[in-house]
Amino acid sequence: MTQKANNKPAFAGVDVGSLSTKSVIVSNGTIVGYGLIPTDVKLGTEKSGLTSLQKALEVAKLSHDDLKYIVATGYGRISAPYANKTVTEITCHGRGAHYLHPSTRTIIDMGGQDCKAIRLDKDGNVIDFAMNDKCAAGTGRFLEVMANVFKVKLDDLGPLALKAKEIVPMSSTCTVFAESETISLLARGEKPENIIKGIHHAIANRIAGMFSRVGVENDVFFSGGVAKNVGMKAALEEVLKAKIVAPEYDPQLVGALGAAILAKTYGSKV
Amino acid sequence: MALDTLKKIEEAVKERPQELAEARKNGAKVVGWFNYNIPEEIIHALGLIPIRLGIGGDDRLVEIGARYISTKNCVFTREIVGLFAENQDPYIKNSDLVAVDATCLQTYRVAELIKYYFKVNTLILGVPRNFYLPEGQEYFWKELESFTQKLEEFAGNKLDKNKLAESIKLYNGIRKALKDLYKYQATDSPSIKWREVFDAVHAGFYLDRDKYLSLLQELLKELKEEHGEPVIKNLNGDARILLSGSIIPPKDTKLIDIIEQVGGRIVGDELWSGLNPSLNVNIKEPSVKGIADAYINRVPHAALPYLDLETDGRLKNLKQLIKDYKAQGVIYHTLRYCDPFTFKAGETKDVLKNEGVPLLEIHTEYAGSDVEAIRTRAEAFVELIKNKNILEATL
Repeated sequence: MTQKANNKPAFAGVDVGSLSTKSVIVSNGTIVGYGLIPTDVKLGTEKSGLTSLQKALEVAKLSHDDLKYIVATGYGRISAPYANKTVTEITCHGRGAHYLHPSTRTIIDMGGQDCKAIRLDKDGNVIDFAMNDKCAAGTGRFLEVMANVFKVKLDDLGPLALKAKEIVPMSSTCTVFAESETISLLARGEKPENIIKGIHHAIANRIAGMFSRVGVENDVFFSGGVAKNVGMKAALEEVLKAKIVAPEYDPQLVGALGAAILAKTYGSKV
Repeated sequence: MALDTLKKIEEAVKERPQELAEARKNGAKVVGWFNYNIPEEIIHALGLIPIRLGIGGDDRLVEIGARYISTKNCVFTREIVGLFAENQDPYIKNSDLVAVDATCLQTYRVAELIKYYFKVNTLILGVPRNFYLPEGQEYFWKELESFTQKLEEFAGNKLDKNKLAESIKLYNGIRKALKDLYKYQATDSPSIKWREVFDAVHAGFYLDRDKYLSLLQELLKELKEEHGEPVIKNLNGDARILLSGSIIPPKDTKLIDIIEQVGGRIVGDELWSGLNPSLNVNIKEPSVKGIADAYINRVPHAALPYLDLETDGRLKNLKQLIKDYKAQGVIYHTLRYCDPFTFKAGETKDVLKNEGVPLLEIHTEYAGSDVEAIRTRAEAFVELIKNKNILEATL
């Protein structure tokens, strides 16, 4: 999807998340570069944003001066003096998902530290949304903790859930309690994959509760880093009784892409 | 730049604790009160000084309160208990009697608790769960009769019909002035912001009521000279937000600050610490029964049941305020463990959705840990309102 930009103006979106920072550059009606790095707490959110942007510029073979307009989003948007404008990740995920899959009406966005249910109209405008409340359940961080309990890589958690023959119900979605409950279940001799499936279902049920506030309408789009987890996708489809559309682009970059699209919209007016 | 009369009101509020302490030295008695259905007219007519109690937004006081009640009780009631435990708030300290009506039941329980733990002199006013049944109305009338008798004993004099008529006239004047002030804050490029009006409402919790009315009338005169008649001509691209839900008492500024910081413009409120108590008060005769009937027909507090969603006075009022102030969205504030409003959030959202008005529920407490999460929600809501007017966004 990436190609070298010619002399057309370029626009960037930078999504500074709690665990990873993403940048996308668009020019001449197409995506010309992206950068994805772990958010570096020591480096700070501002420098993390600039580093990911630099990576995207290198891919696009552009320099910072070629960027006509930058929109920053994500929780680190408040520390982005390099951006011309900041927009919330809710609006950006809406724009990104609408561009990638125009018939999207519902988005499940699961990021590093929060989780959102977003509803769109046919033009990609956000008409309603809900966010999880003060809790890590259903977030990338929760899954990282769980992967650590099972001593597996984060990327292997989803495929393991798909291998389960049975489901072990998990009563808690609190990160701390779920960790101790998991240790107890393992001690009892339950199979790891069955527990992992139970964990995914517990999260999916919690997310279903969030959707009761905003409703679900097809097509359903899954964005954010957790969208790469096939076990979570399967659990959500089962619990929400909805088909999630196949990803056509890295779901972790959807927020940054939406920010880049808005950068073009605002930048073209300048 | 703040209006001259606003500065005068601010000064008067600063001086009020000292003024109250001196009045008490000279024999005056202060009745502090909580909740929604205590008729100040009766307190005032008996020569007592009414003060509406309660502040919010202080997590330290909440923690102190939680030594006496569960952490699963509403954060406002925990802070109230903290206020009594600490006994530093000038209005708490200067209350000779604390009157509480049984509208919000958690607040009502606080009255029992402060009597038990801190030996506070309390007086309870019962409130029916159904305002529409004749039996409910009769119950409230009898409760108010009994409440008035106890207040008479406390005051050492009898309720005089002429004095009550004068008090009713004074309070009708205050309510009208507040409604007029709200009209000014909702206009294009207003000379007074909603927040300043909200603060002026709170000043009325404390100030001498005669002085308060004259200050409000002076403020309205100043506004009329500066702004003319209050008319909303166009929406100026603002994200016009009406604030509704759980109580936002004096000093609880978290949500208001965030909404303003993310570019939202509050153009009105449907709050029991804001405009609501001033609406639909029609006292037909200067008597306890006249006041009971009028209070029961006000906009109901959310602690009282819908009974019938179609005719519910609170929802009807909410829709009317949205129309009057040309609000484009509602931010519905719910305090953690505040049952009356959290239970009704879903229905309220659905009712407004049918009217084409988006509603954002913000569920919070007084700790600062959720400030950034609220900021993202409020900012996205402002974008949602503003984005209605843009844009073909594509690559």
